[in-house]
Amino acid sequence: MGFETIECSKRSVTAHVILNRPHVINAFNTRMRDELYEALEWAREDRDVRVVVLRGAGERGFCAGADLTEFGTAPSQAVARDVRWERDLWDLMRRFRKPIVAALHGYVIGTGMEMACFCDVRLAATDAEFGMPELSLGLVPAAGGSQTIPRDIGLGRAVEMFLAGPTRRLSAREALAIGLVQRVVEKDALFDEAERLARQLARWKPSVVEAVKRAVVEGMDMPLETGLRLERRLAARLGGATV
Amino acid sequence: MAAPRVRVDLKGAVATLTLDRPRARNPIDENMASQLRDACSGLSSDNSVRVVVLTGAGDVFYAGVEFAGRYRSGTPTKTLPQSFTVAEHIAAIPKPVVAAINGDAMDQGLELAMACDLRIASEHARMGLTQLAHGTMPRDGGTQRLPRLVGRARALEMLLTARVVNASDALRIGLVNEVAAEGRAVELSHELAAAIAGLAPIATRYLKEAVLKGLDMPLDQGLRLEADLSILLHSTADRAEGLRSFVERRPAAFRGK
Repeated sequence: MGFETIECSKRSVTAHVILNRPHVINAFNTRMRDELYEALEWAREDRDVRVVVLRGAGERGFCAGADLTEFGTAPSQAVARDVRWERDLWDLMRRFRKPIVAALHGYVIGTGMEMACFCDVRLAATDAEFGMPELSLGLVPAAGGSQTIPRDIGLGRAVEMFLAGPTRRLSAREALAIGLVQRVVEKDALFDEAERLARQLARWKPSVVEAVKRAVVEGMDMPLETGLRLERRLAARLGGATV
Repeated sequence: MAAPRVRVDLKGAVATLTLDRPRARNPIDENMASQLRDACSGLSSDNSVRVVVLTGAGDVFYAGVEFAGRYRSGTPTKTLPQSFTVAEHIAAIPKPVVAAINGDAMDQGLELAMACDLRIASEHARMGLTQLAHGTMPRDGGTQRLPRLVGRARALEMLLTARVVNASDALRIGLVNEVAAEGRAVELSHELAAAIAGLAPIATRYLKEAVLKGLDMPLDQGLRLEADLSILLHSTADRAEGLRSFVERRPAAFRGK
């Protein structure tokens, strides 16, 4: 696949999607959004691919945020809104049936952090730093962060990240302590660890993995009773042993 | 005219709201509740105010009606009358509100602190919702806000055992954001408030709306709310100023426009 802002490759059962604009610390722009959308649609449809690993190219970081040079180029709010919904990458990630593992190093800022929060498991290198600077730029998070981050780390800590964002960044250790990432590994080992974890997840039966993801993600949006019904329905559909 | 029991101090863009009955450990009575409600609506509509700090006078944040009862003679108040509830009014302030928990925040005191957006606790402050031990239950939002801050399991444990936590435990479980050295909670809160006051006011208001309303919605609906609010911000002068300041590598000067 001929991409300009990302790289995408298949390693038997895992697909590696790599943000590839290292000269600007993988700043996220519209082109990258469209290419990620295309790559993830491919990974979704390819029957060999069971797990996706998302990572960033270059020494400096996973993604330093949105490419601000693109901001303010939309002729009107109506156009900006149309552009936002023409390819809804965040919804594609939210509904993604296969596990996505994020391998995070260096700068994981703004949109970079929000992108990571649409992944299922997050590994961080010891040098990773996390921050949400939007408010100091007169912006609000616009890649789902106002919704996903409170759900991941709790309301109080999420609000703190947003309000203290520009002045304070979280280290990998701090991110681990509050549940923003699930594991911290040495930088040299990050991509190997991510691949190893992805292989472990790839061993499970895909239909079961998909059902578990759906039960958890969709269940969290429901009253408990409805979530319990969803769980029973998904389990029943898998067949096999019944309780 | 009731004696003022709530102090409002304005300094620059930061308003400080102080529960001011230190000799009684700042419990809320009906007068105080109505003064607090008025103060909240006043601060909400005052455009010169960008951040609010809520604190208690003396060395107590607010020891709660039930808790305070133990320090006085006579029967402690058993239930909190409707006219005493104020947390909803604090939560309705559309600007960031920082709780400077300068001392114990018990029962309704903790409920008020949880209605704020950020909490800085003094290292000796104790916090708990102990109403169950007094034969009653929280009714100023405690049963709803505690699980949203610390998770369901920890909230149930704290409520059912009427457990009082110290500041370092509160930090670990996400009940407070920061712990301050003895006597410094108010000062640190003001430092934080000053930093927040430098952020874009409209974006800050929208963020608060997106986060709080979004948590009550299914994720996909929350994402739509966020997208719409962020695009609505395109119409603000502050957004243009923020992006310009970034390019010019200088601090932004936001005007709330």
